[in-house]
Amino acid sequence: MTTVVKQDVLEQELTRDELIAIKNKRTAVTVFQISWIMVFVCLSIVNLQIRSNFPTWPPPGVAALDRVLPTLATIGLILSALAARAGLQAIRLDEAGRFLSRWRVALALGAAFVLLMIYEWLAVEVDPQYGTIFRVMVAYHGIHALVIGYIMLRVYRTGLSGGYDSVRHWPVEGAAKLWYFVVVAWLLFYVVLYVL
Amino acid sequence: MATVTAPLPGARVAEGRRLRVSEYLRWSVDHKVIGVQYMVTALVFFIIGGALAMLIRWELLTPTLDVMADGTAYNQLFSIHGTVMIFLWIIPMMAGFGNYLLPLMLGAKDMAFPWLNAFAFWMIPPAGILMILGWFVGQAEAGWTSYPPLSTMFSGDGQTLWAMSLHILGLSSILGAINFIVTIKNMRPQGMGYFQMPLFVWAILATSIIIVMATPFLAGALTLLILDRVAGTAFFNPVQGGDVLLWQNVFWFYSHPAVYIMVLPGFGILSELLSVHARKPIFGYRAIALSSLAIALVGFLVWAHHMFTSLTPELRIPFMITSMIIAVPTGIKVFSWLGTIWGGKIRFTSAMLFGLGFLSMFVIGGITGVMLAAVPFNIHVHDTYFVVSHLHFVLFGGSVFAIYGGLYHWWPKITGRMLDERLGKLHFWVTYVSFFFTFFPMHLAGMLGMPRRVAVYAPEFQTINIIISIASFVLGISTFILFYNMALSFARGRVAGPNPWRALTLEWATSSPPPSHNFEGDPIPYKNPYGYGTESAWAYLEGLESKFGPSAPTGIKRLPPAPPRPQPAPSGD
Repeated sequence: MTTVVKQDVLEQELTRDELIAIKNKRTAVTVFQISWIMVFVCLSIVNLQIRSNFPTWPPPGVAALDRVLPTLATIGLILSALAARAGLQAIRLDEAGRFLSRWRVALALGAAFVLLMIYEWLAVEVDPQYGTIFRVMVAYHGIHALVIGYIMLRVYRTGLSGGYDSVRHWPVEGAAKLWYFVVVAWLLFYVVLYVL
Repeated sequence: MATVTAPLPGARVAEGRRLRVSEYLRWSVDHKVIGVQYMVTALVFFIIGGALAMLIRWELLTPTLDVMADGTAYNQLFSIHGTVMIFLWIIPMMAGFGNYLLPLMLGAKDMAFPWLNAFAFWMIPPAGILMILGWFVGQAEAGWTSYPPLSTMFSGDGQTLWAMSLHILGLSSILGAINFIVTIKNMRPQGMGYFQMPLFVWAILATSIIIVMATPFLAGALTLLILDRVAGTAFFNPVQGGDVLLWQNVFWFYSHPAVYIMVLPGFGILSELLSVHARKPIFGYRAIALSSLAIALVGFLVWAHHMFTSLTPELRIPFMITSMIIAVPTGIKVFSWLGTIWGGKIRFTSAMLFGLGFLSMFVIGGITGVMLAAVPFNIHVHDTYFVVSHLHFVLFGGSVFAIYGGLYHWWPKITGRMLDERLGKLHFWVTYVSFFFTFFPMHLAGMLGMPRRVAVYAPEFQTINIIISIASFVLGISTFILFYNMALSFARGRVAGPNPWRALTLEWATSSPPPSHNFEGDPIPYKNPYGYGTESAWAYLEGLESKFGPSAPTGIKRLPPAPPRPQPAPSGD
C-alpha cells in the first residue's frame, strides 16, 4: 500500500497528458486481460464439453497425463510472476539493480516453464480428442507465454541500459501485468487439464 | 408543426476543412478520418452484400433453380450475403459512427489510442477481401453460422478464408472496443459524469463490453474450426469423438450477443435523433442508459435458444425464460422513446422519419423475437422464413434504419453540407414501404412451412415469393436515392453551419466539419445533453451560435427572438 501511495505521489511529476496516457494504458491492459482471458475460458469449456461425450476421461485406452512435471512448472510460473512483481516494486522505489535481478529470476523461471511444457506437449500420446485438445490448449497458452516473455526480455534489455526510473517505467508495469495474465490463464488450464 | 432549422444560404464550408478524398485513402490517426473510413468501407460492402441479396431474390422468383448453376452456388450466395452484411456492413458502420462521434461527444481531441484505432480499421479491408477471394478457391457455403459438418467436411477452401477473415475482423472489433471503453472511462470532460453522457456514448459502452467479453469466444471457435479444416483435428467430427453441437454452443455464445453489438449502437442513435428532433428532453434517461447494460448482461444468457431443436428438454425452459426476459430492458427503451416523442414539437426531418421507422419496424422484430423465444413456436418455425423475417426486422428495420437516420442527422457535421431533405424523405418512404413488403410476407411464408436456405421450393409459395422479390428490388434501388443524395450534397449541398439541428450534445459545439483538434480549448458540456425546451438551453445554443456562426433556418420560420421570452420555450431551443 505504501508503494502505491508513493507511486501516486511520484506521478505528480508527470504532465497532465502523460498522466492521462498512463491512466489510459492501465485501463486498456485491464480491459484486454478481462477480454482475452475469455478465449482461455472458451477453450476450457470446449475441453469440458468434449469430455462429457466420453464415459471416462481420458477415454478408454488412452493414458492419463502425468501431473508431476506440469505441477512443478506451474509452481515455477507462479514464482516467476512473484519475481516480476518484486521487480516492478523495486523499480518503483528506483532500485534498478534489484529490479534487474528480480526480472532475471522471472525470465529464467518463465523460460523453465515454457521448456517443461514443450516437453509435455511433445510427450503426450496423440489421440483424436484427449491428446489433441491438450496440445491445442497448451500450444495456445505457450504462444502467449512466448510473446509476452519476449516483451519481458525487451524490457530487461532496456532496463540494463538504465531506461527506467521510479516515475517512468510503464513498460515494466505493462509487461508484469501481461505476465500475470499468462499465469492466471495457465492456472485455469491447469485446473481443467490436470485437476478436474 | 415546429420550426425546421436549415443551413444558412450563402455560407461557406470553412477553408481547410473541406473533405479531401486523398486524406481518406491513407493511414491517418485522426478519429474523424478513421470514422469516415469505417463508414465508406462498410457502405462498399453494403453494396456487395446488397447485390448478393438481389441475386438471391432473383433466384427465388421461381420455384425452380434457374439463375444459379446449382444449389452450391446458391449456398455460397446466402452464406456470403449474411456474413458480409453482419461483419462487414453493420458492425463496421456502427464502429464508424462510434469513432467519429465518441471523442466529439466527450469533448476529447481524439480516441485514447489513435494509432490502435487506425490499426483496428486497417484490418477490415484485407479481411473483407480475403472473404471475397473465397470465390476463387471454392467459396464458403455453410451459411453465416457455418455449422459443422457443412463447414468442416463439405465446403471448399473459401471456408478456411472465411474463418480467417472473421478471425481478423474479430480482433479488429476487440481492439476498437478496448479503445472505446478506455476513451469513455478516462477522457470525459470535467462536469460530465457517466449520467451526463449522451445516450449514444452509453450505447457504445454497452456494445464495447459485449464485444470484449463475447468476441474471444468466436476467436476460440474459429481456431478450432480452422484446425479441423487444415490440421486434421476432429473437434467437430462425432465419428472421432468430436461434437457438432460444440460449435453451436460456442458460436452462439458470441453470435447472439453480436445481435446486440449491431443493435445497441442503433438504440443510441435513435435516442439522439428522437430527443433532438422532437425538441424534448429524453424520457427516462437512466432507464435507457442502464437498460443498455442490462441487455448486454442478459444477452449472454440466451444463446441456446438458437438450439432449441437440439437442446436437451430440461434446458429449454431456462433459456426460454432468459430469452423472454431480454425483452424487458428492450421494452423499457421503447416506452422511453415513445415518452420522449409524446407531446414533442416533432420535426419530421429525414433523420426523424428514419428514427420513427426504426421504432415501428424494430418493435415488430422484437415481438417476433419473443414469439421465437417460446419453445413450441420456435420448434414449429425452426429454420423457416419466419426466422429470416425476424432477423431482418431486427437488423434492417432496426440497425440499418438507425444507420440511415444517423447519416441524415450527422452528415452535416461530417461534411459541412446538408443532404437534400426532399430526397431524404423520398428515400425514407420508398425504403419503409419496400422493406415492409420484402420482409413482412416472409413471416407468412415461414409459418406456412417454407424453409430457409433453399433455392428450390414448393410451387404454392411462388406468389408470395414474387411479391417479396419485387419489393426487395425496390428496396435495393432505394439505396441509390441515398447515394445520389450524398453525391448531390458534395456537388451543391447547402452549407450546414455548426449546429443545424440546434442540438445540445458536444459534437455540435464546434464547426462543421470539425477542425483536426476538434475543439478550440476544452469545451464545456451543457449540464443536460437533452435539456431541450428550457431558458438555459436556449441561452447555451445562442452562445454557441455567436461563437461559431449561425446555422440559421431557411424559408420556413425564423426562430423567435432571444430571451427574455415567455414560457413555454419556443421550438428550436
